[in-house]
Amino acid sequence: MAIIERTSDGVQDFDRLIQAIATRQDRAAFAALFGHYAPRVKAFLMRSGTAADLAEELAQETLVTVWRKAALFDPTRAGASAWIFAIARNLRIDAARRQRREALHAQAEEPEPEPVAAPDHAVVTAEREQRVRAALDHLPGEQRRIVELSFFEGRAHGDIAGLLDIPLGTVKSRLRLAMNRMRTLLGDLT
Amino acid sequence: MTLSHHPSDATLAAFAAGTLDEGRMLVVAAHLAACPSCRRAVRLLELTGGVLLDDVAPAEIAAGGLDRVLARLDAPEAVPASAPVRRQPVDTAERPADGGAAADIRGLLPAHARLLAGYELGPWRWVGPGVWWRQVDAPTLPGGRVFLLKAAAGTTLPDHTHTGTELTCVLTGAFRHEHGRFGPGDVDEADDEVDHSPVVEPGVECVCLVAMQGRLRLNGLIGRVLQPFVRL
Repeated sequence: MAIIERTSDGVQDFDRLIQAIATRQDRAAFAALFGHYAPRVKAFLMRSGTAADLAEELAQETLVTVWRKAALFDPTRAGASAWIFAIARNLRIDAARRQRREALHAQAEEPEPEPVAAPDHAVVTAEREQRVRAALDHLPGEQRRIVELSFFEGRAHGDIAGLLDIPLGTVKSRLRLAMNRMRTLLGDLT
Repeated sequence: MTLSHHPSDATLAAFAAGTLDEGRMLVVAAHLAACPSCRRAVRLLELTGGVLLDDVAPAEIAAGGLDRVLARLDAPEAVPASAPVRRQPVDTAERPADGGAAADIRGLLPAHARLLAGYELGPWRWVGPGVWWRQVDAPTLPGGRVFLLKAAAGTTLPDHTHTGTELTCVLTGAFRHEHGRFGPGDVDEADDEVDHSPVVEPGVECVCLVAMQGRLRLNGLIGRVLQPFVRL
């Protein structure tokens, strides 16, 4: 019987659940991860325009991938949510080209020259996600909307311009302002 | 390496969100290989994606979904016979980066050789005086193409505009145009409003990886003379 670990504020520590899968193939930990993430991955993919059936299939595939790749999860680089987001994103991308594209995204994960000391990662992850959420919440609504659409709508920025009926240059400048703000607030996180 | 020219935030966001076509993903990946600050930006965007994932209103999973997935956990990973060889950088890190067909490009960064090794490259073809190109078989949106462009040291490329967008990452050598100097890893993002006439620096040939939508439109006398020969 696995212990579903919780941090002091009662929030489930999803990072530790993934590590429980990696170290002891803990099925209870997997079930807890599935309960939280499968419905969210499905919802996320549906908001990106994926049909419900396929979104369900990809959500299941995402969690199976979490099981298989749990040993590769590095909580000092990204928390459970960001890691699972990236898995779901790669699965959504054209399945036929999936593995090649994963290699392209892996390019973003080349080791950095200056190693960062890794403090207690559970605290770091929770704090990191809180800070990203706070930074998003402090963006002006129009900038936050562009950031969200970049992820949820799964469409090119030209299409976002059409959707919102604003010029493409405005989409790009709002995104640039949002990213500048987030870099300033969160630059130490990555 | 500190680079001067980066992809736009819109392009980085589309890369992180997974909405770029593979050709442009490849060009962005070539930049990321050389640019720690854009790697950080992509990770920041992935953290953002994780937070958005956590905050989305959950959808209902079909009854028995967990049981079906649990039943799959012990099955061996299905790998179709036709699956392409995995080319994760982790797998290739210890092998010499021969770059396959890209091996004849002198001075290629190992990371760039590894990226290109995942693709079929066509033969070098003559475009114009001192300028050659070769096809990269990366999939694109309709009307797009991905290619390597090689220009001899000191070449002035014909003054041109684009009918669509062009995303270029310098692999070796350097060129200049009115927006500055572009060396290895630098990205030049041009749309149909950009009209430029790049000049390759003397001393070393310049090889670029280009993902282009639409076609080049050559301007001026040389361009009009060359246009019939140029299929870019």
